[in-house]
Formats: sequence, structure tokens, C-alpha cells
Amino acid sequence: MNFRGGWALIRATWLSWLQYRSFFFLLAFGWMIPPLIYLFVWSTAAGEGSIGGLTRGGFVAYYLLLILVNQLTYAQTNWTVGDIIRYGGMNKQLLRPLAPIFDTLSSEIAGKVVYMLFVIPLTALLALLLRPELHIAPGAGGAFIPALMMAWALRFFWGYWLALLAFWSARADALLALQDTLTFLLAGQVAPVMLLPGGIRALATVLPFRYMISFPVEVLMGQVQGRALWQGFAWQAGWLAVAVILFALVWRAGVRQYAAVGG
Amino acid sequence: MLYLRLIRRFIAISIHEMAAYRSNFWISVLNALLELGAGVLALVILFEQVETLNGWTLPGVLALLGVYLTLGALRALFIGPSLEALAGMDGEVWSGKLDFTLVRPVDVQFLASFRTWRPLKLLDLALGLGVLFIAVAQLGHSLTFADVLSFVIVLAAGLLILYAILLAFAGLVFWSPGFLFTWLFDAFFQMARYPVGFYPGWLRLVLTWVIPVAVMTTIPAQALLGDLSPLSLLSSLLVALIFLAGATAIFLTGLRRYASASS
Repeated sequence: MNFRGGWALIRATWLSWLQYRSFFFLLAFGWMIPPLIYLFVWSTAAGEGSIGGLTRGGFVAYYLLLILVNQLTYAQTNWTVGDIIRYGGMNKQLLRPLAPIFDTLSSEIAGKVVYMLFVIPLTALLALLLRPELHIAPGAGGAFIPALMMAWALRFFWGYWLALLAFWSARADALLALQDTLTFLLAGQVAPVMLLPGGIRALATVLPFRYMISFPVEVLMGQVQGRALWQGFAWQAGWLAVAVILFALVWRAGVRQYAAVGG
Repeated sequence: MLYLRLIRRFIAISIHEMAAYRSNFWISVLNALLELGAGVLALVILFEQVETLNGWTLPGVLALLGVYLTLGALRALFIGPSLEALAGMDGEVWSGKLDFTLVRPVDVQFLASFRTWRPLKLLDLALGLGVLFIAVAQLGHSLTFADVLSFVIVLAAGLLILYAILLAFAGLVFWSPGFLFTWLFDAFFQMARYPVGFYPGWLRLVLTWVIPVAVMTTIPAQALLGDLSPLSLLSSLLVALIFLAGATAIFLTGLRRYASASS
């Protein structure tokens, strides 16, 4: 693998993304809003008491962390890779002496840095205004880092293999829409997973979406402990393996039958 | 009436255009159902945990969701796509194609507001109205004629405000082409899913007086619940008129700044 070339590409992509900052700030703002709405709704619902062990400040802390993790793991490949394939931009990438995954990785890193320039100050401001209460369980910090890294990798490869379906059908949009809804319901956005009613909670535990966003936050806040923690990690690692295998299979089959259109 | 005839023509043309993309039909059905399902489930999950929230019960917020979906559907039916064609990404202001619109012997604001239709969004409209009817049936009190009449009036006022804000943002594009003002608004409009009473005080003020999404959904829902004060009804009409006048002024002033663009 050509790492020097890969690094140069990452730098170039980052610089070109920075030129569009206001566009990406706007995007990041849009992604922040749904968790922010549920932050307000649940902290109003908690009022002076608590719901499922979470007080008002607890909900604020949970959702502010969720906003950060959601931004860090957001799978922008969902739309960028699909468009590149559809509009024939894959030609250029395939001709380079670099694996096309470097292109994706470089826009991934560039994008995340630009989003973070916006999201971290804004979250800090919200934290000052809304007074979160965060008690980090002993040892939870150590479990948080691997959970977060696996969440990112899972969401990245999951988004990538879904986007690669664009090799076959010009519109994988229906699947992406379904995935967005499931993410909204099952990944701790509409409510922390532990507050979901039984059937939906079981679904959230089994499907991959929770492990892309809310699992690291739950780990850090001590909402999953002991056996549940190890089971969570097992599900997360299992889904990550599935996502990587799907990615490899779809990529190999897709490139073979890829034919560009347009010029 | 020339304008009504023109609208009929615009709709007919849009239907012809739509017929070319048949697979879009199913995707649009899926999207509408997913949005409805996620919206209803989000409310059910919340009201599993609390009985009432600041005076609102499940049927009440369901009625509000119905108002939100109905307004969103009307927006997506014609206001959104028409203004998007003017001021959106690659819109006419951006590309300079507005020249051709300006030379037509019809009022520009009318053309900008009614030109493009998305007939598939009638399905969303039907679903939104369906939620409204179910919610009203669940409320378990019979509506008087006065209730229904005031509901229709405040809903119309809400629609006017929505239109006015989108028109004003379309007008702002003349000053700052390329800035996607509607994206910013979309973020705030999502907050209209819940009664303003669910948000903290400072946000409630913003949502009532600065970006009055409260007037769009909370007040119509209150009308259905039968606790709408005459003052709310009058002020919502007043706000609608002020916004409409202001937005028209912004749009027309912006239009005068337009200096075309070329490639």
C-alpha cells in the first residue's frame, strides 16, 4: 500500500474541504438538531424528578455526548461514495496507484475535522448553558475509547457497503431511508436505549444501529455494566466483522461489473 | 382567472414529468410511511414514561403531529420545490437562469411560488390528515363548529407564516447566493413536532416570536383541543399578515438586486 501518496491525498482533501466550511457547518448544525430536540423534551419530562434513573442534568449529559459521538461516527460515505459511482467519478480513483479506500478515508478525516471545528465549541456552549450532570463510572473511560473506535469503524464500513450498492442500482436510496429511520429509533436518539419499551429495546440490542452511536455513550455513563457491557462489546465486534466482510464482498463484485457512464 | 389556469397547467406539467420516474413512487411511499411511523413511535415511547407533559396528553401531541405532517406535506407539495428551483442549490439565482423567468409576462412572486409541484406528496398530505382524524377521535370530546372553524383559520395562518419564511429566505439568496438558508430553517422547523411548552423558556420565546414555529403547529393543535383563546387566534392572524408583508418586501427588494450571472 502506498502510504505516502495516501497521506498527500488526505492533506489535499482536507484543505479543499476547509474552503467549504460554511456549507459543512450548516450540515453539522442540521445533524445536531434531532438529538437536541430530544434533549429538551426529555429534560422537560424529567423535570425535578428522574426517569429511569436519569435526572434532567443526566439527560443533558447523555444527549450532548450523543451529539459528539454522532458527529464523530457519522457515515458521510453514505452519499459521497454513491454519487461518485453514479456520476462516473470512480474512473479516476480506480486508475490511481492507490486503493480507492484512501479517497474515502481522506474525505472522512477532512470532513470530521471540519465538523468538529463547529460542533465542539457549540457543544461546549450548550454545556455551559444547560448544566449537564455527568458521573463517569470508574473504569468506564477505559471502556469508552474502544467502544467509540469500534462504533466509528462499524458505521464507516456499514455505510460503505450500503453505498457500494450503487454499483448495481442507481438508487439505493430506499435502503438508506430505512436505515435512517432505524438509526433514529434504535440508536439512542429518540430516547436512551434503556428507556425504550421491551420489544423495541430487544430489537435495538440485536441490530447494529445502537453500536454505531449510543453504545459508547451508554458505556461512559455507566448505563451498561457487568455482563451487559461484555455482551454489548460482543455484539459490536460481531457486527463490525459482518460489516467488513460485506464491504469486501460487495466491493470485489461491484468493481468487476462497474462500467462508467457519462464523460 | 389567469392565475388559476396557470396553476392547473403547472400541475399538469409536473404530473407528466413525474410519470417518467416510476420507481420514485415506491420510494416516496416508503419515505412517507417511515416518517409517519417514526413520528408516532417517538410519541408512544415518550408517553410510556410520563402520563402527561406540561398539560399535553398522547392524543393531544398526536394531533399536533398531524398538523406538523400536514403542513410539511403542503410545503413539499409546491412551496418547497418552487422556491427551491429559484433559490436552492443550483437554483436560478445561482445559475443565472432567472433571466428567463423575469421576462415572462406573469408576476414573478407568483411564478416563484407555484411553479413546480410534487404530486406524490399528496400521499403525505393524506397521511397527515389521517393522523389528525385519528387523534381527534382519540381525544374523546366532540368538536363544535366553532372549534373546527378556528382550527382551519389558525392552520391557514400557520401555512401563510411557513410560506412567508420560506419566501423571505428565498429573497435573502439575492444577497448571499450559495448560502442555503432553507437548511437553517429546516433545522428549526423540526422543533415544531412538539408543543413549544416542551422546550425551555428562552427557546420558547425564540420559537414564538423570532421563528414562530409555535404559531404553525402548537396553536392549531390547541384549537383542536378546544383551548384556544380568542387572543391567540387574533395574534396568529396578525403574525401571519406581518410575516407575509415583510417577506414580500424582502423578496421584491432582493429581486431588484439581481444582476444575472453567466458562465
